[in-house]
Amino acid sequence: MTTRLAALAIVLLAMPALAAAQTQPAAAAPAAATGNAQRGKVLFETTLRCYACHGFDGQTGSPRLVPMTRAEDVFLVYVRKPATTGMPTFAATPERELRDVYAYVRSIPQAAPAPEGIPLLKGILDRRAKAN
Amino acid sequence: MADTHDTPAASSLDRRDFFKGAALGAAGLVVVGGDSAADAAPLPPAPAAEPPTLANDLAFAQAQAGAAPPVRAAAQGRPASDFMVDVLKKIGFEYAAINPGSTFQGLHESIVNYGNNTAPELLTCLHEEAAVAMAHGYAKASGKPMLVIVHGTVGLLHSSMALFQAWADRVPVVVIVGHHRNPSGVINRPHSAQDMGLLVRSFVKYDDEATTLERFAESAMRAYRIAMTPPLGPVLLTVAAELQESTVNAEPRIPELTLSAPPQGDAAAVREAARLLVGSQSPLIQIAKIGRTPRAWDLLIELAEALQVPVDVMGYASWQKFPSWHSLYGTGGPGYTPDVTLGLEVSDMSAQARTARANGRKTISISAEHLFQGSNIHDFGRYADVDLAIAADAEATLPALIEEIRRQITSERKGAIQARGVRVAAAHKENQLTAIREARHGWDGSPVSVPRLVAELAEQIAGDDWAIVSGHQFTGDWQRRLLNHDKPYRYNGDCGGFGIGYDTPASVGAALAHKKAGRLSVGIVGDGDLNFSPGVIWTAAHHRIPLLLVVHNNRAYHAEVMIIQRMCGVRGRGNANAHIGNVIADPNVNYAQMAKAYGMYSEGPIENPKELAGAYQRALAKVRAGEPALIDVVSQPR
Repeated sequence: MTTRLAALAIVLLAMPALAAAQTQPAAAAPAAATGNAQRGKVLFETTLRCYACHGFDGQTGSPRLVPMTRAEDVFLVYVRKPATTGMPTFAATPERELRDVYAYVRSIPQAAPAPEGIPLLKGILDRRAKAN
Repeated sequence: MADTHDTPAASSLDRRDFFKGAALGAAGLVVVGGDSAADAAPLPPAPAAEPPTLANDLAFAQAQAGAAPPVRAAAQGRPASDFMVDVLKKIGFEYAAINPGSTFQGLHESIVNYGNNTAPELLTCLHEEAAVAMAHGYAKASGKPMLVIVHGTVGLLHSSMALFQAWADRVPVVVIVGHHRNPSGVINRPHSAQDMGLLVRSFVKYDDEATTLERFAESAMRAYRIAMTPPLGPVLLTVAAELQESTVNAEPRIPELTLSAPPQGDAAAVREAARLLVGSQSPLIQIAKIGRTPRAWDLLIELAEALQVPVDVMGYASWQKFPSWHSLYGTGGPGYTPDVTLGLEVSDMSAQARTARANGRKTISISAEHLFQGSNIHDFGRYADVDLAIAADAEATLPALIEEIRRQITSERKGAIQARGVRVAAAHKENQLTAIREARHGWDGSPVSVPRLVAELAEQIAGDDWAIVSGHQFTGDWQRRLLNHDKPYRYNGDCGGFGIGYDTPASVGAALAHKKAGRLSVGIVGDGDLNFSPGVIWTAAHHRIPLLLVVHNNRAYHAEVMIIQRMCGVRGRGNANAHIGNVIADPNVNYAQMAKAYGMYSEGPIENPKELAGAYQRALAKVRAGEPALIDVVSQPR
């Protein structure tokens, strides 16, 4: 049990570095994905289980994968040899599978709603803004 | 006063004897035990019988099933365990959490009959780990220990994990463990030990065996006092069944319970700490296990505002007794580098001290940890070469420190301090608003995002006097971002020892404490956590403890999924098998059905976030009416 949480702590400590790595723009406008998004979804959720860190839709984990700013080939290089210790390496995963995962991530709606457009969040933001 | 029980009577009716008595009773004899002559000297050896074996015991039990119940004359004289109940009442225990066991049957019977099952009132628990974890949560919410009574060896070992957590969290819990001093029979022998306390001595502050009633009274008072003296911690008292089931010859005196005044910092050291802080350009306060009373909350605000210094609550290992939306809550914002760091009850400041020394900065530690580190558990971390170590209770020292700071602040410094506060407040507010905006990501997704789970809850309890009674290590701190923790009881802290299985039972214990104050308790617990002690759902239902349990059901030990993925990658073996052993699926567990089976109102599993508001409303209506309820939310990993 202790191991479980110690491991979690390591991952959480690595989050800022992961987020920084993800948000480095590799290309201004990545070209269209070449893989199969449907196969990629299956890989993302049930085989490679990328969702464990990044959320089922790539939006709720850390780092967020959407909007995806890396070009496909840069993405492949990164996941095979991540720049941070928190990210597992996928060097042994076939290239086609990685391209499918990329295609799935690119297929996810890339823009989150504005917080001010979500009544619950707007209420919380207003309350915090007024506090102290 | 003379020691009245140096040679207590042997157990008049342990389980082995019960079987024998049953057989004799069936033959028309009356078994008499506990007369005054027998109390004065050990009972004679048991008559020769066939060698005890498990088969024999089982044969007795099977024979008993069809036989008349055993007959035993009422004990003559006052049961010793009645006296023990008087001691427990004088200490003032409100509750005693138990899972029953024959090694404390004397005390059990006295509590429910002689003591009328009030103060202490028994809480029926289905696992000793849950019993101690309930006491852990209760102590943090109420400020006082709950009594837990456990069975010899087996019950104590079941409770050991939760005792470890209470130790690591510096939380007082008083445990009584029974045993047989002269065990007979294959069932009783394993419930006895030469040194019962040895089983958990690595993580209790004090343990003793009460060999006489006089010693029981004194040791119980001492145990309570030690548990409540900073640094707080769990304590253990072993009481033999033979002593519980003996009779009182001469009533021992029950001493008064007097608690120790907590140690305050040396006056000269406090002056020096104030000098360093007042002269600092960018001080920082870090807080961990401070807040044993609600007064600490007010004192911390007073200290922070006097210096206009940011307060870092330091994550999971902290009780986080500082308002989450206060302008000084945080680490000062981007670019704020502390030149003086004050740690209050921070057990390990070694990293801060090393960094500070390498950069010509200063560190101060005020902690009761400096007084007591005799443990096999290395949670105190590495040696911290802080510039000023004050061995004292930080809460008790704060009034003098605040006074000294106010005395030393000159009118010239006042301006600089106020200017710092304005800068820090602006940075914090922007940071917190940005953090709240992050909740929009995956807002309408399914499974439900954790911030959506929390935000919907925040909306529903906005008009209540609420308390989050679970930790936040698996909810990513969303509750502190989205809910204004503006009272000391809003948040009850994490487990302390970084093990799972704490959140659910501790939530029940804390909710019991809040029930009296009329507060609405909510526990957001992981599915992994709930599966360690699901029986506590029944305890909450049985004892009508109002509590909303929200299951953050991500169907896995997700941190471990990530860790094993990383290990797979490091070894170049692919990630396809990383989920094995880490995922709680196939079949999925239905926690709403589980709760129903235990007699608790429940809804779920909920996968559509739009269904959350209605489910919360219906469940909260039950909780406000005095019942517990559970909502099973299928959620994103974190």
